[in-house]
Amino acid sequence: MKKYILVVDDEADIRDLLAQYLTSNGYRVTTVATAVEAAQAVKQERPDLVISDLQLEDSDGLDMIAHLKETLPDTPMMLLTGVLFDSDVIQNTLSKIVSCYLPKTSSLSEVLANVQRLLAR
Amino acid sequence: MKDHFLRLVLGFFLVISAVLVFVAVLAVRNIDRTMATSDWVNQTHAIILEVEGAFSSSVAGDGALRTFVLTGTARDQAACREALSNSADHLEVTKALTRNAPAQREQVLRLESLLTKQADLARAVMAARQVGSAEALRALEAAAAEPGISDIRRVVEKITSDEMALLAERDTASYRQAQTTRWTVWTGVVVQFLFLAGVAWLIRDDRAARQRVAATLREANEKLELRVRERTAELATSNERLATENLERRWSIQALEHQVHYNQLIINSINDSVFVLTKSLNISRVNPAVSHLTGWEPTELINLPLSRIVQLLPDPAAGAVPLTDPVARALKEGHDLRHRAATIEDKRGARKHVRFTLFPLRDRDKVVGGVAILEEMPLAPTPATSAPSPVRN
Repeated sequence: MKKYILVVDDEADIRDLLAQYLTSNGYRVTTVATAVEAAQAVKQERPDLVISDLQLEDSDGLDMIAHLKETLPDTPMMLLTGVLFDSDVIQNTLSKIVSCYLPKTSSLSEVLANVQRLLAR
Repeated sequence: MKDHFLRLVLGFFLVISAVLVFVAVLAVRNIDRTMATSDWVNQTHAIILEVEGAFSSSVAGDGALRTFVLTGTARDQAACREALSNSADHLEVTKALTRNAPAQREQVLRLESLLTKQADLARAVMAARQVGSAEALRALEAAAAEPGISDIRRVVEKITSDEMALLAERDTASYRQAQTTRWTVWTGVVVQFLFLAGVAWLIRDDRAARQRVAATLREANEKLELRVRERTAELATSNERLATENLERRWSIQALEHQVHYNQLIINSINDSVFVLTKSLNISRVNPAVSHLTGWEPTELINLPLSRIVQLLPDPAAGAVPLTDPVARALKEGHDLRHRAATIEDKRGARKHVRFTLFPLRDRDKVVGGVAILEEMPLAPTPATSAPSPVRN
């Protein structure tokens, strides 16, 4: 059965590109724009992976991830954002909240490699 | 090739048909001849039978005549007449049978002559017997000098032997015809079989050639299909790769636009005036706070020297006025210049006091420009630092 990925991003172009790329690589993808929509999507079906932006229209991506973790404690969470963090911040702060941090300047193949790594756990 | 083959097969069938017609015509003709020969044989046997019948009747008539001469009874006379009549009947049949055969006809006429003389003699003897037996005997003796039974026998034997000789000759001819027919038919059959074998060989050869052509065509088609499949797979792979590359490119553009927009948002949201400078200290970009502070629009400031509107005040800590411009030196040496008192001239020509900080912009190890941040100062600087030192470039 295909792995199910939930993509949360306020930019429609980013959502479409990610969904198209991940679908063509054999995943089932649902995209939402806000934290509220993400919570509703999670209630309908538990994802195998959540990919979220940092800046959402109605919330902070890290906050949303923290909330989702309450219902999905074992689901890997990836932060994919245009905000660039220092390596110290990534190592000391972000790694405690998310399973993986990737800047949006990363290539899609890097995104895919990390998705495969997280889903292989 | 196909037309040539068809012409060849058609030619063979024409030859086979011609041979068939020839054999059939020959066979029919020989059958007709055989039937004619059979008729003739029957006729010959009939002639022989009739001639011998005539001779037998003649002998019987002669015997009956002599008996009548001795007895003088009416019964013997009637027997003589009946025998001679039978002989005449056989002769008539013989004449009819030899009507179209001139050679036999001559012999039959001779027989007729002899039988007629015998009949005349018998009539004469029977007439003499009416007178008396002595008269009859004299007439009989006189008849002995005339041609009699022995002559008739010779003629009959001649006719019979001639007919038998002809019969033997025609039997030989008939046998030869039968042999010829047999040979013709068998030769025709053999030739037909040879021609049919030739046609079969041609068809087999043509079929093998067609099978070879079909196999070659099939092989070529299979190769072509394989090539098409390979090419289609290559195109599909290539298309997939292009689609992925296209997605990657769109993703990169999107990420860059997002990054630029985000950076711009950060700069524009800073409350202090920010000037992005080239290495020559010309203004390349300003944030909205600059317009707010000075009234200059960004388009009016771009490419202007920073010194046109910003002047550093002498540093009280440094004591003497520096020989080289501190901003240019900081960029050249690649170090920060922090919290220096300065003034900025607004669009109306009034000067405002600000705190000046400069950070060199580094691209790897190379300084490519700088960022100047001007923090508005609510109070005027001390008199000692009131003489401004223009930022040079």
